[in-house]
Amino acid sequence: MSFHTRFTCLGACLTLAAGAALAADSDVAKLTQDPKVWAMQAGDLNNHRYSELKQITSKNARNLTVAWTFSTGVLRGHEGGPLVIGDMLYVHSPFPNKVYAISLEDQSIRWKYEPKQDPAVIPVMCCDTVNRGVAYANGKIFLQQADTTLVALDAKTGEELWKNKVGDPKRGETTTNTPHVFKNKIITGISGGEFGVRGRITAHDIDTGKIIWTAWSTGPDKDLLVDPVKTLTWTDGKMAPIGPDSSLKTWEGEQWKLGGGTTWGWYSYDPETNLVYYGTGNPSTWNPRQRPGDNRWSMAIFARDLDTGMAKWVYQMTPHDEWDYDGVNEMILADIKVKGQPRKALVHFDRNGFAYTMDRVSGELLVAEKYDPVVNWATHVDMKSGRPQVVAKYSTDKNGPDVNTKGICPSALGTKDQQPASFSRKTGLFYVPTNHVCMDYEPFQIEYTAGQPYVGSTLSMYAAPGSHGGMGNFIAWDAGTGKIVWSKPERFSVWSGALSTAGDVVFYGTLEGYLKAVDLNGKELWKFKTPSGIIGNVTTWEYKGKQYIGVLSGIGGWAGIGLAAGLTKGTEGLGAVGGYKDLAKYTELGGVLTVFALPDR
Amino acid sequence: MNTRTTARLAVAIAAFICWAPAQAQAGDTPLYTVSAGNKVDAHTLSGWRTWRALACERCHGAAQEGMVGPSLVGSLKVLSKDQFKETVLKGRIEKGMPNFDGSKMVVENIDNLYAYLKGRSDGAIEPGRLQEIDK
Repeated sequence: MSFHTRFTCLGACLTLAAGAALAADSDVAKLTQDPKVWAMQAGDLNNHRYSELKQITSKNARNLTVAWTFSTGVLRGHEGGPLVIGDMLYVHSPFPNKVYAISLEDQSIRWKYEPKQDPAVIPVMCCDTVNRGVAYANGKIFLQQADTTLVALDAKTGEELWKNKVGDPKRGETTTNTPHVFKNKIITGISGGEFGVRGRITAHDIDTGKIIWTAWSTGPDKDLLVDPVKTLTWTDGKMAPIGPDSSLKTWEGEQWKLGGGTTWGWYSYDPETNLVYYGTGNPSTWNPRQRPGDNRWSMAIFARDLDTGMAKWVYQMTPHDEWDYDGVNEMILADIKVKGQPRKALVHFDRNGFAYTMDRVSGELLVAEKYDPVVNWATHVDMKSGRPQVVAKYSTDKNGPDVNTKGICPSALGTKDQQPASFSRKTGLFYVPTNHVCMDYEPFQIEYTAGQPYVGSTLSMYAAPGSHGGMGNFIAWDAGTGKIVWSKPERFSVWSGALSTAGDVVFYGTLEGYLKAVDLNGKELWKFKTPSGIIGNVTTWEYKGKQYIGVLSGIGGWAGIGLAAGLTKGTEGLGAVGGYKDLAKYTELGGVLTVFALPDR
Repeated sequence: MNTRTTARLAVAIAAFICWAPAQAQAGDTPLYTVSAGNKVDAHTLSGWRTWRALACERCHGAAQEGMVGPSLVGSLKVLSKDQFKETVLKGRIEKGMPNFDGSKMVVENIDNLYAYLKGRSDGAIEPGRLQEIDK
């Protein structure tokens, strides 16, 4: 410990001495205001994935060319992306979670970090051994390893400063999310909804890693960090107290202890309200008959006070999930006009196929509309109760175990999974990478064993029938009205986080491996075939007067490995197998960061 | 269908020649009984239920064709029953195969699981949902 303390002091004591008055705030929020750097995975606290840089424009994007490339030396799925601070770039890999610090000047590796992890975590990672990237603040790099260890590294040397393990892989707990630095705290989550893991987020001290508070997704009020009177939820067309035992009342027996509601998505933070926003995942198991009730607060958006963890409001998108529609997707904070009125909004593209616009201060439900017209499991969201109106023939609970419910749209992948959308502060629109995939879903009875899969359903997925035949769309969305502005079909799911810029260009990657640039009307301006399929997120930065675009390629993730799941007969579901097996015609494994720029004149 | 039957026959012959000792150990009871490709005996059905409950398809594919994990259609032609049991119960951690000796269902059904996967590998049992013979 003294060893670590010494390093902490070498790195941070000077900063502390110089800025004791500012000790409450880390430097990351300020850094995100400089468009030359990319200091958080989403670029800023709001999850905008937008850049003010405009050297690359819709006029010249067709000239983009490769500036340099870097192999991570790791196969399997590469989600997330690099950070850029000053003259350094920091990039991670999937398990074993290597971190590289690369000099922008000559692309030399300044340091490399590879944690020692128990390989037993690999098989308990649900949907490939992905990791969604590192975080930065106060001269430290934060890595959330697969084995649930949160580690702080000296950004200059790569030395370990502190570590804290937030879960137990033997119980199926792993981690894939990026740590989020808000003010002087690091917020991190947990994965393992397919292993009966009980979800929570933890807030850590940025200097020591010590846990400041833990907020669970299910269970008694004291674990949830809620106040039965002061914590509100949308009820009968207004905000009302959630009441006592709001979670316990919605589970049978002690099923809440295996309740899921994991937290592996993209969080955001509003300094004005001091609220952290994040979503919770599916309830466990996937067999809905085994867990009667609404299963709160799985599938929900939480707004919590950063300092205390207390929930100000909460909203459940999919009560009593029957389809694996996790609610973890990014929470985008945007000040936009909603139905003509200026609002401090939170916009969330849920797995269940509805895009939600909430008032992020009050928690009121403002808009909930389908962002893919094929969504069929619910007719609409009743705006008074806030509940989706489930179509009986797509209810896997009503149809029951060992019955195959067919033709449900979207599939368990959701109309969108974790691949984050971009909000353009210039156009006020959202640019959203989506899936266009439907499924058959057959639940079955299952027993819980710690550390063993706790799924309880067989799935078969295929391109949305009766549509364009592709498995994805890249869309522009108006969250103020709840309408699709344009939609660009893609052969495969778009599993790459988007980027929009002040140069009127929107970027995204495809599973075949293309990085694409489109204009504000969705017209393709340029594309480049990277070495592998893209499930990483596009980032941009400026170095020595030049704007760069960077993206990780490396096929994998759920889209890359899991989509052939669930044949029910020899020939059935060949659409899915065929559709995704097609990927093998286009790409192979392998992690590479490709960096683009305009050519020197 | 013809090619399939031929292939199945070839596989069965190969299996017989290569794995005569294993067959001898098994005694006179057939490893699995199947009719119409998707109706099986109660033991083999339990094997399939074990496969399904432990979500093996996440790595090995819905038709055992292999994804992140190897094709079991292929592996079951190579592995002896003892090697199969060892692999499933103890795992191959470095390669990402978990040890399932902590699962009561797997431990109790390891022979049934072997029978099911062997039937799949032989081409006698179809992929996907199964039911019990005469039910």
